Amino acid sequence: MPDLKNIVSFPKPPAPRAAAPAPLRHVPIRDSVTTINEDGSRYFLHPADAPGRFLFWRRLSGWALILLYFLLPWVPVNGYPAVFLDIAHRRFHLFGWTLAAQDMWLLFFLVTGVGFSLFFVTALLGRIWCGWACPQTVFLEHVYRRIERVLEGDALQRRTLDAAPWTSGKIFRRGFKHAIYFLASLAITHLFLAYFVSIPDLWGFMHNAPGEHWTAFAFVFLAAAVLYFNFAWFREQLCIVICPYGRLQSALTDEHSLVIGYDEKRGEPRGKLGTVGAGACVACNRCVQVCPTGIDIRHGLQMECIGCAACIDACDEVMARVKRPTGLIRYDSLAGLTGGATRWLRPRTIVYGILLLIGASVATFAFSTVKPATFTVFRMGGAAYFVDRDSVRNQFLVRVLNKRADTATFTMAIEDAQAGVKHSGFDAPVAVAAMAEQMAPLVLVVDRKHYTGPFMFKVHVRDESGRYSVTREVEFLGPDPDLLKEEDREHGVSR
Amino acid sequence: MNQHSEEPTVRPHTFDGIQEFDQHLPNWWLNTLYGAITFSIIFWFAYQIARVVPSDGAQVDTAMAQIAAARMTSTFDVTNDAKFWEMSRNAVFVDAGRTTFNSLCATCHTVNLTGAVGPNLKDHLWLHGGTPKEIFQTVTKGVPVKGMPTWGPVLGTKKTAEVVAYVLSYHTPGEPIEVQTSYVPSAPVPPGN
Repeated sequence: MPDLKNIVSFPKPPAPRAAAPAPLRHVPIRDSVTTINEDGSRYFLHPADAPGRFLFWRRLSGWALILLYFLLPWVPVNGYPAVFLDIAHRRFHLFGWTLAAQDMWLLFFLVTGVGFSLFFVTALLGRIWCGWACPQTVFLEHVYRRIERVLEGDALQRRTLDAAPWTSGKIFRRGFKHAIYFLASLAITHLFLAYFVSIPDLWGFMHNAPGEHWTAFAFVFLAAAVLYFNFAWFREQLCIVICPYGRLQSALTDEHSLVIGYDEKRGEPRGKLGTVGAGACVACNRCVQVCPTGIDIRHGLQMECIGCAACIDACDEVMARVKRPTGLIRYDSLAGLTGGATRWLRPRTIVYGILLLIGASVATFAFSTVKPATFTVFRMGGAAYFVDRDSVRNQFLVRVLNKRADTATFTMAIEDAQAGVKHSGFDAPVAVAAMAEQMAPLVLVVDRKHYTGPFMFKVHVRDESGRYSVTREVEFLGPDPDLLKEEDREHGVSR
Repeated sequence: MNQHSEEPTVRPHTFDGIQEFDQHLPNWWLNTLYGAITFSIIFWFAYQIARVVPSDGAQVDTAMAQIAAARMTSTFDVTNDAKFWEMSRNAVFVDAGRTTFNSLCATCHTVNLTGAVGPNLKDHLWLHGGTPKEIFQTVTKGVPVKGMPTWGPVLGTKKTAEVVAYVLSYHTPGEPIEVQTSYVPSAPVPPGN
């Protein structure tokens, strides 16, 4: 049979299902998605509990991440929340940095940086993100499945409840669970809305009638509904069918990337305890029962695997109980699982690593050029220059944007202008409020006597604290000086 | 609930040695497709046939009418000279106008309004009309050939009116107005001058 579904082909274990007992109603096979029945309907999984060291660390890191998500919009850094994407005012506060819409080009380095990091981490550690850090996994495993576990009991009890007729008791239990689910979804949505709306504003929204901020209200309600649907019903379908990140990662791993795998050499042939000639696998099927995506890890690396390590915990527990060495299912590379050595340093990791280093250096440089203020010099509307009885004149508007959380005072100076240039406007320091923009006209006048044609000059703007100092070159425009001399001759003026 | 049979069915054809499974798509996936098709039909019917939803053009017209209405309620009659004189005696308007004047206009007209690059605004000589509504028009539209920028789009009606009120605070209603249309500061020096 051609192997259409899996990117990495792995030899099938001999007699996979015939020898295995079938305590499950659903036996995973490699060529079909377990969670989709033959008629296209959904097979709803009830993964069993799998306590163990990986669960402990995963739960700890999951709660740490939830705490981090929660704290980022609350903890102030330099007067603003650590992460506050103020879309309404086009100001983006990131860990003390404030970026304006003008700094949007930095997004390029953010996106490429994320891309290169993904390349490197995936080549080295496989789908470590999916099992440990992805918000889908974090919220599903550590919030929603926990609620389900507390309210409806273990896998067997949940499956029994699923099959039970719809009595008033079942309706109440299910209704209660879904109400809690929806409340959790609302809480998560508000948590993430706080990234885009400041906490005081959010608090204000929550205390007003929905009609007063109906767009925010509709957004929160719809987002909560989507989250609720995702975490209550959709679950692993997102990882298997929708998430492009998971598929992309499948293309970045090779036989030396860290994955979760089954040691076929040690485990096969499977057999119950005491079977003569059997391998280490006791065919207890615990690894299948605990899998949140419904696969049998013993079939080899599969696209559905999110690397959650539940099967490692399950298998280690059984191996310890039957007094065999643990690690029959473990974090290892495909090379390591087949008895070879894992090569951490290989062309792929080296090239991805170099790309990541280059990207990180360029991004660091790019972010270091971001200034706490910015200014631009515009030529005012109307004619490019004005010729007077005695002088040639250029008019500019200087726009100063202050990106800091406090008022800053800016001074301006003209540099490198030729002799005889007088300027007015922006003579006194200009105070610009926090996050505000201020305009100041700048008029340059050159006597006809001194005028020798267009020239370049420099506008230097600095703030009084000395944290900002930038010079821009601007051109003074004017007519050909010979034309002015000719005009003077016609009128008999000598200068 | 149908369980998967042992192996999925394989379609009879083979192309380039590649065979194809015959597996059912997830129903939820198919439902998104059918839902999108249903939505497009309802959308097309509502927009194009029943016209329950106003057309894009009508929606733009409605929005523009709302903007125009909002503008009208937030502005006032800029042709009303008496209103400007009233504003010019109101400290709130005059103070606001002074702030704008000093930061933008004073570059050419000086903080004393005595003029430098731009003309004097304190005396009774006016180049483009000296009544309040004429001054307002001059500030709003500017005099691009002479270097007076069109401040209307930059400042908006309210700030422009405040600036006019500030200038008028140096004048009194009914004072003589002398319009000097012949004075052209950018003209070359006449012969013999």
